[in-house]
Amino acid sequence: MKKKLVLLFAVLALVAAACGGDDDATDDSPATTAAPAATEAPATTDAAPAGDSDVTLRWRTRPDNDQEAGVYRSVSESLSGTFGATLEYEAGGTETEGYQQALLTQLSGGTAPDVFWIPGAEIANFASRGVILNARELADAAGHNDADFYPGPMTELTTDPATGAQDAANYLWGLPRDVSAFGLYLNLDLIAEAGAEDPRDLAAAGEWDWDAFRRVSEDLAALGGDVSPYGQSSWWGPIGYWMNAAGGGFYNDAKDQCTLDSTESIAGLQFVTDFYADGLALTFGEDPEPVFKAGNVGMFQNGRWATPGIREVTFNWDVVKLPDGPAGPSNWLFWGAYVINANTEHPEEAWALVQALTSAEVQGQVAELGANIPSRVSQAALDAFLTFTPPENNQAFLDGLSEGPTTEAPDWLGDWPSYSSGLTTEVGAVISGARSVDDFQANICAELGEFVNP
Amino acid sequence: MADRPETISASGSSPPPIKERGAAPQWLMPVIAWQAVLGVAALLGAVLVAAGTLWDLSGLAKWIVAALLLVIAFAAALGVRDLLAGKHRGRAIGIILNYLVVVVSGFAALQNMGVFRGLDALGDNFFNVAWVLVIVAVGWVLATQAERFGGLESKVRLAGRVVAGVGVAWILLGVGLLPGLLEFVVRLVELDVLVPMLVAVAAGVAFWLLRKDEAGFYFKTSRDQAEALDGFLFASPNVIGFLAFFAGPLLFSLYVSFTSWDGLTELQWVGVDNYARIFGLQFTSIDTGQLAADVLKDGYTELMRVGDFIIGARDRLFWVGLRNIVVFGLFAVPLAVMPALALAALLNQKLPGVKFFRAVYFIPSVAGVVGIALIWKQLYNATVGFINYGIVRLWDLINLLPGADFEPPQPEWLSNSRVALFSVVIVFAWQTIGFNTVLYLAGMQGIDSSLYEAASIDGAGKWQTFRKITIPMLRPTTLFVVATTTILALQLFNEPYILFQPQQQPSGPNNATLTPVVQLYQEGFQRFNQGFASALAWVLFAIIFAITIFYFRRQSEDEVGA
Repeated sequence: MKKKLVLLFAVLALVAAACGGDDDATDDSPATTAAPAATEAPATTDAAPAGDSDVTLRWRTRPDNDQEAGVYRSVSESLSGTFGATLEYEAGGTETEGYQQALLTQLSGGTAPDVFWIPGAEIANFASRGVILNARELADAAGHNDADFYPGPMTELTTDPATGAQDAANYLWGLPRDVSAFGLYLNLDLIAEAGAEDPRDLAAAGEWDWDAFRRVSEDLAALGGDVSPYGQSSWWGPIGYWMNAAGGGFYNDAKDQCTLDSTESIAGLQFVTDFYADGLALTFGEDPEPVFKAGNVGMFQNGRWATPGIREVTFNWDVVKLPDGPAGPSNWLFWGAYVINANTEHPEEAWALVQALTSAEVQGQVAELGANIPSRVSQAALDAFLTFTPPENNQAFLDGLSEGPTTEAPDWLGDWPSYSSGLTTEVGAVISGARSVDDFQANICAELGEFVNP
Repeated sequence: MADRPETISASGSSPPPIKERGAAPQWLMPVIAWQAVLGVAALLGAVLVAAGTLWDLSGLAKWIVAALLLVIAFAAALGVRDLLAGKHRGRAIGIILNYLVVVVSGFAALQNMGVFRGLDALGDNFFNVAWVLVIVAVGWVLATQAERFGGLESKVRLAGRVVAGVGVAWILLGVGLLPGLLEFVVRLVELDVLVPMLVAVAAGVAFWLLRKDEAGFYFKTSRDQAEALDGFLFASPNVIGFLAFFAGPLLFSLYVSFTSWDGLTELQWVGVDNYARIFGLQFTSIDTGQLAADVLKDGYTELMRVGDFIIGARDRLFWVGLRNIVVFGLFAVPLAVMPALALAALLNQKLPGVKFFRAVYFIPSVAGVVGIALIWKQLYNATVGFINYGIVRLWDLINLLPGADFEPPQPEWLSNSRVALFSVVIVFAWQTIGFNTVLYLAGMQGIDSSLYEAASIDGAGKWQTFRKITIPMLRPTTLFVVATTTILALQLFNEPYILFQPQQQPSGPNNATLTPVVQLYQEGFQRFNQGFASALAWVLFAIIFAITIFYFRRQSEDEVGA
């Protein structure tokens, strides 16, 4: 009996202790702390002593690696308490660990964080369902300026979900955490061994186009053995580059019509299909990153996010911008944004947190790790980015962002997840030879058109 | 006493049987009054929920909750009537009803108090002071082993208790007992905590009183009735857990399957449209050179074509996934079962080191599927993976033979649509064989050894013994192994999800590894179609259920035959 009482006491004591663990439970009232007025470095404004706050904000982002998660945690600790809120950082999962699955479940159950990151292409899904806060009034009150950030993402972040048209005066769904673009990671040792022209020199001379790309690839192919001249992943981004660079794309300008079957899109698809058919690329669908890191791929198309992993290789490497297509330079402008949970009890503090997380200072800390490019259009931020080496040629990514990239864009009126999934599968079928280009052109928009304009 | 059951308390003790009911306990009327209050509250709750005033429920959910509250109100009323009449049924209803009220109100109070969210923080804090457990353990060892210290026994025991006590206090303070207690007191006065807490306490007292021996005597509870009540109470944690975390969500998903819910906004009832989309097929003819879109109805896409005959589907991916999972099962189940039987036969031998190998073969079954899939992903890389490297080295050996000059095959395990599904089969079989081996091993060790002795005397060889005795005697085990492996195979998700992402979608190259569960995941969590995903889940459930019934029937027939 005595033991049972002791056990019961211990359990009750732990339950009582758990009461103290939920700091947020008594925070029913909206925050009264004023949002910071400054747009730059709000972390230093209206500072309140750390730990004195009654408001707790939970925030989450998807780091690319453990090191980046550590930086975010450190950022959270340094910002905590500086604008009237104690911060709790939650590192989200990776692409293979269901970041969106967890988020969706928590949003559905009402337990999602106050501020969270979502990929740019998902903004429409969340905004149109009313689960993220339109922060326009908060932003205007805080003196925020949309022009501080890259215009592509800001266009999408200021879109009216009902019409799909930009309405910056009334809408602001969040601020971009960072941006990114594709580059071609080069194995300089292989290129030298093959006696191929250096793509960086070709780019500097303005001669880095698809013909030059194919020439270099053929030289690399001549090395034989296990060497693949080129490798890319098989999701919609790398696929889309070929269509965009040929002057085509996934949608028309109004984004209400499928253009996968346009002459230009098909020209891009035909080029890359022939390129693969001629044995100039690692098999479509194979993960090219370990093969490149093993020294068996000459040119590897990937985003800035791959840089930390590539820094581990032992051969000489650098980066060059993607080759110009028939329609000129092309790239993607990838981005993701910090958004505010529509059900947050502390919208002012949440907005202040979004501002703080997208300040030049914080973006610099994260970008220094190599996986990100600051989303602020600021010469200081860009200059700092160029110093985050290797690779030496960081300018290649900035070129990708400046030379008319296609912005990763949510589909405000259509069904992007279904459309992107379908086009990825079908383009993959064409490149791997399971479907003809002609059949693709004849049927693809009939098959996927319903997702563009349901 | 032979013609009437012995009277017994519900708490299990066996008081002497009584023939006459004694005077009603003093607490009975307050308990009956409490139960009446519960009944009225449930009735009022049902009305308010149905009217939409209480809780913000809509659609079917509103009516389900209202109906549930009505049932509770009816049960409470019935209980009050029977309690007044001194019937055991009233006592049973009272015990069950108050027990459920304690559980629900208690959880509500803890939830409103923030205890469940606080458990996360408690876990973090506990980790910081976990090392103090060593001190507690030292104290506990001293206290329990004090007799070993001879004359110092009492002092050592006391010292041990003090050390353990200090350790426990340290841990409790370290995890935040004092601020927690303070918070507890502060929150206790809040209405949303205080009310459910008081209700839980009142129901707890009523439950305790009705469970007393005194109540058993008064209500003439028989031994069988008491045992039944005790049984229900013992099983209740599991039953409540099942209802709350399995049956409840299951029924909710059935409801969702008739809606177009996206997981975030209001549910919109669409009737059987999700199911119609799943099963919608069109059979028609097509001329040479004609496009599928020309002959198929709007919303239908080409599923397959034979000559001038074409089949269109409203949801082509469902049929692709179904085809994939059937093909997968046809390969994966035999590959996960037959080698397991052979391995079990080997491991059933009395050989040196056999216990070590039993553990080795079981490791894949207990290892995390994510880790396994990531390793296989590396192994499968067509250019730098170890499997293709091994094939090359093997071919090098073969090519040493005179006149041999063969090109080694280099399968593109994960990027070739003809190979990808088979790659998943290998991973699945490799992971499942170990568990199946253990099942077979247990089955083999349950076979009567006299059968083998008799066969040996009759001159049967090892192969004959295996074929004529072991395999037939393992038939029930085989049925179970095949059934569970088939069910596992039909639920395939983790392996393709990890193997193909993020370079590809989990549906693999050209949808080669799309399975019903992969499609369910993509619909539910990537395309925000929770309603359609739920319908897919129920269709898959129906398929698995039918297969399970089939296997169980076979098993029953076998048992009858035996």
